[in-house]
Amino acid sequence: MATQNTIRVSVRRRAATLSFWEQVYLFEVIRGLWITTHHFVLNLYYHILKLFGIRKTHPLTPTIQYPEECRPLALRLRTLHRLARRDDGRPRCVACMMCETVCPALCIQIVAAAVDDPNIEKRPKSFDIDIGKCVFCGFCVEACPEDAIRMDTGILDIASYSRGGMVLDIDRLLSLNAATERTDKEVDQLQKWLLQ
Amino acid sequence: MSPVMYWTTTVAKSVYILVFPLTLAFVLAWAERKQSAVMQDRIGANRASVFGRPWLGFVHMVCDAMKMFTKEDFVPETEHRFLHHIAPGIAMFFALLAFAVIPFGNQLTIAGETIGLQVADLNVGILFVFALTSLGVYGLVLGGWSSNNNYALLGAIRASAQMISYEICIGITVIGAIIAFGTLSLQEIVLAQGTHLLAGWLPRWGILLQPLGFLLFFVAGIAETKRVPFDMPEGESEIIGFNLEYSSMKFGLFLFTDFVETVLIAAVTVTFFFGGWQVPWLYETGFAFPWGSTWAIHPNIAALLQMGAFVGKVVFFCWLMMAIRWTLPRFRYDQVMDLGWKWLLPLSLANVVVTALITLW
Amino acid sequence: MPTLTIDNQEIKVPAGTRVIEAAKLLGIEIPHYCYHPALSIAGSCRMCLVEIEKFPKLAIACHTVATDGMIVHTNSDKAEHARTSMLEFLLANHPLDCPVCDQAGECKLQQYYMTVGRHNSALLDNKIKKTKARVLGPHVILDSERCILCSRCVRFTAEISKSHELGIFNRGDHSELLNYPGKALDNPYSGNVVDICPVGALTDRDFRFKVRVWYLDSKPSICHGCARGCNIRVDYLRRRFHHNDGKRIARFKPRHNPDVNGHWICDAGRYSYKQLENEDRLLTPQVDGTPGGWDSVLAGAAKAFAGHVSEFGVNSIALITSASLSNEEMFTAQELFGNGLKMEKIAWRIPPGPENKDDDLLIRADKNANSFAAEKIFTSTSRAKDVEEVLAKTEAGKIKAWIVLDADLGPAFGDERIAKAAESLRFSWYLGSYRNATSQACRFVLPSTVFTEKEGTVTNFAGRVQHFPAVVSPLGGALPLLEIFAKLAGRLELPTVETNPARVYQSLGQSFEHFAQPIYAAPTAKAAPTSKVS
Ligand code: SF4
Ligand code: SF4
Ligand code: SF4
Ligand code: SF4
Ligand code: FES
Repeated sequence: MATQNTIRVSVRRRAATLSFWEQVYLFEVIRGLWITTHHFVLNLYYHILKLFGIRKTHPLTPTIQYPEECRPLALRLRTLHRLARRDDGRPRCVACMMCETVCPALCIQIVAAAVDDPNIEKRPKSFDIDIGKCVFCGFCVEACPEDAIRMDTGILDIASYSRGGMVLDIDRLLSLNAATERTDKEVDQLQKWLLQ
Repeated sequence: MSPVMYWTTTVAKSVYILVFPLTLAFVLAWAERKQSAVMQDRIGANRASVFGRPWLGFVHMVCDAMKMFTKEDFVPETEHRFLHHIAPGIAMFFALLAFAVIPFGNQLTIAGETIGLQVADLNVGILFVFALTSLGVYGLVLGGWSSNNNYALLGAIRASAQMISYEICIGITVIGAIIAFGTLSLQEIVLAQGTHLLAGWLPRWGILLQPLGFLLFFVAGIAETKRVPFDMPEGESEIIGFNLEYSSMKFGLFLFTDFVETVLIAAVTVTFFFGGWQVPWLYETGFAFPWGSTWAIHPNIAALLQMGAFVGKVVFFCWLMMAIRWTLPRFRYDQVMDLGWKWLLPLSLANVVVTALITLW
Repeated sequence: MPTLTIDNQEIKVPAGTRVIEAAKLLGIEIPHYCYHPALSIAGSCRMCLVEIEKFPKLAIACHTVATDGMIVHTNSDKAEHARTSMLEFLLANHPLDCPVCDQAGECKLQQYYMTVGRHNSALLDNKIKKTKARVLGPHVILDSERCILCSRCVRFTAEISKSHELGIFNRGDHSELLNYPGKALDNPYSGNVVDICPVGALTDRDFRFKVRVWYLDSKPSICHGCARGCNIRVDYLRRRFHHNDGKRIARFKPRHNPDVNGHWICDAGRYSYKQLENEDRLLTPQVDGTPGGWDSVLAGAAKAFAGHVSEFGVNSIALITSASLSNEEMFTAQELFGNGLKMEKIAWRIPPGPENKDDDLLIRADKNANSFAAEKIFTSTSRAKDVEEVLAKTEAGKIKAWIVLDADLGPAFGDERIAKAAESLRFSWYLGSYRNATSQACRFVLPSTVFTEKEGTVTNFAGRVQHFPAVVSPLGGALPLLEIFAKLAGRLELPTVETNPARVYQSLGQSFEHFAQPIYAAPTAKAAPTSKVS
């Protein structure tokens, strides 16, 4: 009953809103052309100003020239993973497999090993994330009891020429750090790493 | 005229009339991207660059062309490989051939010889144009049919249905123009638009004699180019069109035919309704303005000015068609047929009758 | 026979039954840590507190004997509150170790916290630090911080293994479970303390950090370590093979069967899973040490056999079989070689070495899983039941060919003697799972699967027939022995051989009274895995 009503109402409204002149269409075409032409002329004006260096920016075009320009990322945005370290530099991760277990894409593979320090006991011998499979759900970060895996590197342009290249191993993961604590030099290095 | 001169001038004119639409079509392919971008507050193609500059996106067009030429030419399993191969050629051939009768200027006088600026001054030029555009649809139909693909065939059938519907309307509209001008020769039609109305203040262009005719002709003309809002044969979002099984430059040729046809329709529109190469108040010997002042110039300069005017007018109509293409949403198939048969056809018939009555009276 | 009411349900129980057991009969599980049906009652964890009408206080269900007219409430507010508080006490000094604790996933602390706990701890004091990662013996490692002092392990070493290695030392919250100084937890049943420890205090060194328990699937099986035939649960990986060193089978756990092994298994059996996927497994058929395809090797083997028989007759061939084959395989071998090919020399008896002795708990001297059935099934011959005899005859030149079914003669007779005896053979087949001196002495090697990769039944020393399913698929190119028999029968142009163990068992039952009772009829009834701690 309810759906029928909605449909009827919407149909009626549509028919009611088209006036005769609108139905003739010709004038609507001209109106539409007027809008696009208006934009065309205005944009052309700014493009020409920019072409001759009179203006640096184009006020109507919101395009961001992506690899050169980036828009700032939200702090909580889920970006490429990293593994955090303890204060003494050892990985925080204790290979508890929570992230591997919760991962809906089954893209985390951890192999555990024992450590002599009885206060740590366990560490990841290898820790691979197949970014090619990852759905960036962030469940792994939520599940981690040690706050070891984080998605705060700010890295989004992840690409590789091979499937294997999309698998990040433990060394890579440990070498990354949070976007917020990166120095300029590190940003440069990161750029190089991403481009290689 | 000596035979040498005759052949030289004919070849030169042919080359001009070939180069003109092809160049313009190339520019249109660029405009398709860049103009749409500018209309939509975007920037448009600007990545490929030569010497560190994108040259307004023209480099993209060159890259595109290179891509088209170097891509694999995939031919489907079909019994008519030959037809499949020549179909894009047919479409392109007829579109280009039609330019032969379009007058692109009045006449030049070189070494005492008078050269008419039209490749072939047929006295039935107008029929020739429509014969050729009608034949052009064979390219599409054969292409779609020989692709051995149901969707391509559907596209081809739509193409022919659309052609028939709008061809009729164009033909009948043009009758109005013929009645008004009293001739079938395109050059004469243009010449007839050289006089002025209202004590010489208003050029006697076809649009003033046939305002409705222009509207109908232009709409049907856009339909002839098979571009949005009339892109039924290609129907990208529903059946993917007659060119579905084409790749590489053969696909490119179909694409290009659309642009050439756009130029053709623009040229014919200009010829019929916007004075062709005529510039208001410019006569063979120079300008003669309605307020009495005159400005004498060499007849050849005048002819060149007129050629320029023709190019300018054609470019404007190409721009307009492009603007329409990027402004309007496409019609549904039934709407296209409705428009053709229920609106344009009766209106064009009415136009003929009214024109005839006025002429008689 | 007292009758009591537990949560409004009446039940009649034998005299002396504890309330916790009576509840279990009703299907009501009363949370407990220190109670274990096979051990004496300690009453130390207080987790099993229930409310009993007319009792002045809450009572522990594990120690209170059911009496006539007793009315027990396991879920009254008072009982629930007591349980939650008890858990809070037990966790007072418990470390937050779950991420690195092997018990996680099968831990009773975790389980009861989620079912009856869910409190916010009110205890603010620092936790007491205790011994961590202390190696107790060859198989067991201790984390004292996680211990809840239930004393199950202490009672096990005192009452079951009677080896008395463990004890609880110090007092108050400094109480700590440790081994007696200088005494390692190395009795032959030491692995069982890992099973009965309800928390992650005692864990298995062998299993340590190999794989998380929730990645494991389980199937019931029968240990093939000795003639006892203990009931076990095989825990194996079905995916994520990067864990557990890439092996599929992760561990054996005892499965409760009061008639065979109770709650326990011995360490030898527990760790016998390791060889199932080790590098000694035979994975491809071989001729003279060169690997080949099944077809070519079988063709060669059949040809050698036929040639030999036409020249020397069948009686120059000896069938040497392991007494660990399943009933079905023995029966098929008997049908194929004994009745079909009329071979008379079928040997399986190898006397156990002097180091092997029966003990009074589980371990049997006979390390073969199925000697009982071998004695019953291999009937066609009156001579040559002892492998020793076959060896002697081979050395004397009377036996000129061997067909070996998964038997490793090296440990009993010495590798050199086997190699030397085999040199004089005209041809030899080895149908078995492992590379050893015997397999290397044989010309044609046909790899067969181990017991976790095939279905069958075995008969323990007492004559009890027990079923085991195929847990995992065959490793490499190995095939179940029954299928190899079928292939061989085809090559030798003998009647077709049944490869479905259930149907083989039917024929076996028709031939031998002892195997007449149906085993395969209700396999699912036996397949229900029992939990680790009862
Ligand atoms: S973000 Fe999601 S999909 Fe990606 S690794 Fe983490 S849990 Fe897996
Ligand atoms: S959840 Fe955290 S601690 Fe556990 S394995 Fe993953 S990253 Fe390591
Ligand atoms: S014993 Fe249980 S609760 Fe304690 S750390 Fe281990 S898994 Fe966690
Ligand atoms: S180690 Fe385990 S079994 Fe032994 S007392 Fe502690 S909790 Fe109980
Ligand atoms: S089970 Fe009853 S006190 Fe521990």
